[in-house]
Amino acid sequence: MNALLTSAVAGLTAGGTYALLGVCAVFTYRLVAVVNFTGAAIGTAGTFVLIALYEAGFPLWPSVLAGIAAGTVVGVAIGFIMTRWFGEASASTKAAVTVALLVGIIAIGLRLTGGQHPHNMPELFPGSAFRMAGVEVTIASVLTIGLAALFTILADLFLNNTKVGLNLRALADRPMAAELLGIRVQMLSLLVWGMTGAFTTFALMIIAPQRSPNFMTLSLLVVPALAAALVGLFRSFWRTLAGGIGLGLVEGMASSVDSVSQYRSAIPFLVVLAVLLWSQREARWDEAR
Amino acid sequence: MSKLVVSNLSINRAELPVVSSLDIAVESGAISVVLGSNGAGKTTLLEGLSGIIPVASGSIAIDGREIQKARPGVRSREGLAHVEQGRTVFRQLTTEENLRVSLHSGSDLAEAYALFPELVQRRTVKASLLSGGEQQMLVIARALLTRPKVLLIDEMSAGLAPVIVTRLMSAVRKLADNGLAVLLVEQFAALALSIGNRAYVMRRGRVVHDGDCMKLLKSPDELHRLYLGG
Repeated sequence: MNALLTSAVAGLTAGGTYALLGVCAVFTYRLVAVVNFTGAAIGTAGTFVLIALYEAGFPLWPSVLAGIAAGTVVGVAIGFIMTRWFGEASASTKAAVTVALLVGIIAIGLRLTGGQHPHNMPELFPGSAFRMAGVEVTIASVLTIGLAALFTILADLFLNNTKVGLNLRALADRPMAAELLGIRVQMLSLLVWGMTGAFTTFALMIIAPQRSPNFMTLSLLVVPALAAALVGLFRSFWRTLAGGIGLGLVEGMASSVDSVSQYRSAIPFLVVLAVLLWSQREARWDEAR
Repeated sequence: MSKLVVSNLSINRAELPVVSSLDIAVESGAISVVLGSNGAGKTTLLEGLSGIIPVASGSIAIDGREIQKARPGVRSREGLAHVEQGRTVFRQLTTEENLRVSLHSGSDLAEAYALFPELVQRRTVKASLLSGGEQQMLVIARALLTRPKVLLIDEMSAGLAPVIVTRLMSAVRKLADNGLAVLLVEQFAALALSIGNRAYVMRRGRVVHDGDCMKLLKSPDELHRLYLGG
């Protein structure tokens, strides 16, 4: 029982990261109508800027800032592609484009970072925050969950209490009507891409030391992130937050059970399947009647 | 001098010409009415003017400044407002939030509520829950708050009760009387002509008549002939 609890708590860091990446995915979807498969890859690019600078002997925190800036720039660059050439495309076309961009970013990233070549990823927040039920809860766990909760609260406050937030909500509802009112649609869209780029980069910097820090592994964290976003049906920030943390806990617990631990990477897919079936239940019921 | 001058304008859809070599002008303080049967190119004309679709050739100028290559947002900031057909309210926002989206420096929500006092009691209601007439009032008021020089209105009467249409028409006339240049595309020809100054009739993407609204209103046979050709 204690082993299960330890594993569950160990899954909290991953859960916090899934939650933050998921909340960023919902933010992007709600405001610029893109199911963004490049979310984690954007953060990975920024994280590898940190790694490259750190390995080259630069001090840690300036390197972190440079990495976050790089993640923001990559996010804005992808946002520019999406708004400039695919602004009027359907949601499915936009999603397909981000899948293509993900493949391209991973290919370039693996080439530039030496594929499976081991890297020295610094731990930004080492150590334990507190003990819970006899289990050490790391600072990284607390921080990722805290960051996800903070982003959720800030997103709500920003969207509901500022003029820019109001314009973003209008833009999400009817992009052309918003543009016809003189709203700077492209600039606002790039702001969304830049903000999510910065947050995902910081989240991945925290989790990278606990994962195999190669470009592909980190970029594919988008799968559990989108599973978390799906739990929130790409609308609710709070349900996405809970979905991400829950996913991390379940993955953590699965790792302590020998018979299922080797299948734990399939858990996000099972969640996706379950949520899709659940969300379709009314249509299936209507059809059956 | 005309506020909006459109010269030799051509607009294509799917590479097929929908508006061809069209010349129109809209004066400050006046309503120019664009009439025509379905498929005449009226909505395409407005969408080309506001930048929703690109123009193939020709020029569009507000106060002498050419805007035909600018994005819709830039055209809006140059003083062009477009009330699209279909009552394009921001559905998830309340009435007041819809208005606040288009608030510019120098504009005031009170102007919108003065034009349509009906909206005051509905200001905290989600726009998707407003009646069709209220939604149309909201999009016109919202456009007004961008401080336009030229207002394009597309089929504002579609699907609305006659009493509401009359109310909207009188509000548009009031806006023109306050100095706004209005280009009104409308299916209810008689009602539009009764508040308009200058009438254009379009057929197959071309202007086939350019004249005084009152004269055309008094010649229903002429209007019928212009609509149907011959």
